[in-house]
Amino acid sequence: MAKTFHLEIIAANRIFYQGECEHLVITAIDGLLGIMAGHEPLVTVLPTGELKYMVNGQWQYAAISEGFIQVMPESSVILADTCELPEEIDIKRAEEARERAQEQLRQKQSIHEYYQTQAALNRAMNRLKISQKHFK
Amino acid sequence: MANMREIRERIDSIKQILKITNAMYLISSSKLKKARKALDSTEPYYYKLQETISSVLEHTPHTRQMYFDRRTDIPPEKRKKGYIVITADKGLCGSYNHNILKFTEQELAKSPDINNCYLFVLGHVGRMYFTSRLKNSSKPFVDGEFLYTTQNPTLYRAMEIARLVLEKFENRELDEVYVIYTDMINSSVQEERMIQLLPFSRKHFGKAPDGTMKKLPKASFLPSPEEVMAHLIPNYTKGIIYGAMVEAFCCEQQSRMTAMDAATTSAKDMIKELSLLYNRARQGAITQEITEVVSGSGALSANV
Repeated sequence: MAKTFHLEIIAANRIFYQGECEHLVITAIDGLLGIMAGHEPLVTVLPTGELKYMVNGQWQYAAISEGFIQVMPESSVILADTCELPEEIDIKRAEEARERAQEQLRQKQSIHEYYQTQAALNRAMNRLKISQKHFK
Repeated sequence: MANMREIRERIDSIKQILKITNAMYLISSSKLKKARKALDSTEPYYYKLQETISSVLEHTPHTRQMYFDRRTDIPPEKRKKGYIVITADKGLCGSYNHNILKFTEQELAKSPDINNCYLFVLGHVGRMYFTSRLKNSSKPFVDGEFLYTTQNPTLYRAMEIARLVLEKFENRELDEVYVIYTDMINSSVQEERMIQLLPFSRKHFGKAPDGTMKKLPKASFLPSPEEVMAHLIPNYTKGIIYGAMVEAFCCEQQSRMTAMDAATTSAKDMIKELSLLYNRARQGAITQEITEVVSGSGALSANV
């Protein structure tokens, strides 16, 4: 078995994962980032995206929305607004959210609202993508 | 006789109020359960966030990021201070509102010029209090468009609030931002607390992070420390506001439950006392009637 490091994924409403992990792949602000045990100390920001981590040789997938990660050689902490497994995603709700966001984007609005709606749309699309990819 | 009726009416009205307080007790206890659950699931995030940020900051090289800018060129009496105060939407929750308002007053009194204080009040009670307070003398500016409820805090609401204060900070409409809320220490102890949100200083992460992370060299930041901080700090602000809202909401329900419980108990005590008085008055009236009848018949038989 590969060398492991301690991984904590904490969402605003729950502790998503806490335990050993062999390999972690995150979508950082400027691209994919793979982390294994003994990684150099690192801090980066995570946009809404996909996350996967390997436990006992099995890849686990999750949809994550905005947060950040702190990497230490022996441990990593991810703090995010929300984090969900593909099977937990409410597809109907995400689809509705996407519709809503797209509708709002079509209408004229202030820059702020535009960014907010775009973020909402990103979240919804990400959820849909991940649930379709890993949970059929 | 009038005495008896009065007592009976009193008992009836107390019974009515008892029903209300009892219902409110039940409602708040079920709301508290929900709030507690939210609190329990948010607390790990809230504490981890503070801990992680403080350890991140230990590894951060000195940055000229705008959220760290302490604006020392502005003299203390000219600094515009913003306070996010979390109160309740309704009264009838014991001293909860009173305590937080008093605490805020004390903090406001400390600032050199109250006209440079800006209040962002969550909750109706606090908003009414600060808008109507001390009409004649100088008062802090209360943002009238800041209308957020404290019930069932959501991350989305926290995000909006965070965005608002960050924007004001960036535009130099505010130089310092604080959050005032009630912290739940345990179910019977609550404490008012103030956290400085902005400018972001390393100093206020006074708590010692767990020793394991201490001896590490400077961490690298991707893509750059400035870029990371530009994302991290809004995120942190949001997290802190959300955590404070959840804590405060839980405290509110807790104090309402305690207050309503106390009200119900004292109503029951009052009913007990009043029924004793009522019975005594009734007994007195009966005795008096009997005496009257007996003495009346005695007078009659004496005549015959």
